[in-house]
Amino acid sequence: MNLEKVVFGFFVLLAATLNFGFFIGDIGDPDLHNPYELFAALVVSLIATVLKFGDRTQIGAVHLATSLVADLQLVAAAIAWTYAAHISTEGMSAAATASVVSLSGGALLANAVSVVLLVVETVTYHRR
Amino acid sequence: MANPLLDFWLRLLGQEAPDERRPSRLSRRQRRRIPRASEVQAEATIFLVLRRMRVPLIVLILIFAVSVFGLTLVPGQDPVTGATIRMTFFDAFYFMSYTASTIGFGELPVPFTPAQRLWVTVSIYLTVIGWAYAIGSLLALLQDRAFRQALALQHFTRKVKRLREPFLLIVGHGRTGELLSKAFDELGKRVVVIDIDPERIESLELGSYHADVPGLVADARDPAHLGVAGLANPGCHAVLAITNDDEANLTVTMTAALLRPDLQVIARTTSTSIAERMRAFGEPTVVDPFDRFGEHLGLGIRAPASYQLITWLESGPGAALPNRGHPPADGRWVVCGYGRFGRELVADLHREGIEVTVIEAARDGGDDAPEGVVGDGADPDVLERAGVADAAGFVAGVDNDASNLSMIAAVRRLNPDVFVAARQNRPSSSPLFAAMETDALLVPPELVAHEVYAQLSTPLLWRFVQEVPHRDDEWAAGVVDRLVELTGKRRLPPLWKVRLDRAEAPALQGWLRSGEGRTGAVLRDPDERDQRLAALVLMVLRDGECLLVPDDDLVLQVGDELLLAGSAAARRGLDATMLVGGAAEYVRTGRRVATGWLWRKFQR
Repeated sequence: MNLEKVVFGFFVLLAATLNFGFFIGDIGDPDLHNPYELFAALVVSLIATVLKFGDRTQIGAVHLATSLVADLQLVAAAIAWTYAAHISTEGMSAAATASVVSLSGGALLANAVSVVLLVVETVTYHRR
Repeated sequence: MANPLLDFWLRLLGQEAPDERRPSRLSRRQRRRIPRASEVQAEATIFLVLRRMRVPLIVLILIFAVSVFGLTLVPGQDPVTGATIRMTFFDAFYFMSYTASTIGFGELPVPFTPAQRLWVTVSIYLTVIGWAYAIGSLLALLQDRAFRQALALQHFTRKVKRLREPFLLIVGHGRTGELLSKAFDELGKRVVVIDIDPERIESLELGSYHADVPGLVADARDPAHLGVAGLANPGCHAVLAITNDDEANLTVTMTAALLRPDLQVIARTTSTSIAERMRAFGEPTVVDPFDRFGEHLGLGIRAPASYQLITWLESGPGAALPNRGHPPADGRWVVCGYGRFGRELVADLHREGIEVTVIEAARDGGDDAPEGVVGDGADPDVLERAGVADAAGFVAGVDNDASNLSMIAAVRRLNPDVFVAARQNRPSSSPLFAAMETDALLVPPELVAHEVYAQLSTPLLWRFVQEVPHRDDEWAAGVVDRLVELTGKRRLPPLWKVRLDRAEAPALQGWLRSGEGRTGAVLRDPDERDQRLAALVLMVLRDGECLLVPDDDLVLQVGDELLLAGSAAARRGLDATMLVGGAAEYVRTGRRVATGWLWRKFQR
């Protein structure tokens, strides 16, 4: 067992599950989407990105790309949340919640690709 | 190519544009054969650096996350209403950002409760550690030797790849390499240098070169390093293997001959067996300073003026005229030191029919050694036994400068009129040897540099230098006098080469075809034809045959190649005659021809 692979798989999967947890629920209802979950998803996604640094293989490059996409989407979602909660006069309206959740939905897609890549990498791995 | 615009863009941007100007263009297969593994190594180092930054970055992210998360959990109090409020993620992130980066705006948005302050104290220490760790790791990586080498290699590779003009690849930047890169830089030729010693490559930055000289610290015995240094580049037109390591020179010669057989290779060695092995690969020019010095000394004894002319021409433009020695042609010589240098020299002296007595420190393996005396050459007793008192010449040729100098002093005391030749081993000893006023001095790096310079600077110069020994001494003395007369100074004027073909001398074509273009007539000042240009034709190369220093009546022909010596003004004058129709007409007939089309119509 390779500890590096365990940590790597753990963070990739955790980023996807946290993201999924935040995303699920009525898209316009702010009560169903916990900001702590978004925060956790963002932090884990950032850690997963750093873990993918310095991999020279083709699949490693794609891994890094998907992670960067997920980070971008989650940061955008966090900024949208901040704008709605602190700057906009309307507060967390249904429309604002929907934009935050849909942005995190995009990140979920990227995270799903990451997980698929992880599975593909594992399946094609031959023990010699 | 059918579309000229497309051709232009391909030439400008693409590597694959057909280019007829470079006959030595490599086929793609040939280029792929040359390994460039170190480039991949450099890339790997940068990936390694990224990999090493993983832990500090993750630590930083975690510390930030924990601090921000904790701050949102700890309850605060509104100072006005007294109600319990919690910081939002935005407020917490904002607060941590300015606190962690030590900017410190204070407690925002409202003053903290003691509970919040407790948590903030913990986070401040955590974030300071996190930042210090991350920045420290980054700085340590930037200082890392492997990382810096990788960056230097990438920088060097880019520079060499971008070289679009012909260049020389110099392997070994010792004394010889330095002299040569300076000399070729003066001539406007580009140079790429590779050396194993970092100090010598750093000296490139201090040397004031006109052009940028890319330098790489690497072992040239690795073909991949040579590949990176431009062995695969079509612009590379010669490789000089002039390190002080014979083995390395041999390896470079082999690499160049096997991977780029079309390249000219010049290698330095002082060993006959290595020279033989070098010659087994292609046709490298092998320069052996010991062998060449013997030949030079032989020539110097036979024909001092020829020797003077050759050394002067090989020293490059601006060199002072060397003194003409007066070596004694007859009489016995004493050679001290019978190593590689002594052997070559004794063989050359024997060839000149000179009797030689050898002094050597110990009789080891010298089964072919001629008659000699065993002992320390600096010992007056030994010198006396060797018969220095009635010798005609003395050679101080051991590999220690202090011994050589003390030997010369002792010999001079015994025999003040003796001809002294010496070998200088270290560049720092040169003022001492100069003060000793030896009659002939071997400085191996300089000798090699002059030989290589003569071969590569102008192709015709090497031909000329090889022809000189076949002429007699008075002829050479005449040439030296004419060169001195030319500029009025005892400095070597610039040498250059012209080819009288349609491309280089379009204005002279008609004159040359008429069969009346005599050297003396062509070399007139295009501003004032009564004046002769201050230039001397050293050689005319016609159909592979060379005419040395022809007189003014030689009829020039189309396609002749001329080696000229003269001032820069003379060169400009001749260029005008060769290129401008009006100037050529004036030089030929004395008639001022208008250069404009309209005025020419009027003149008729």
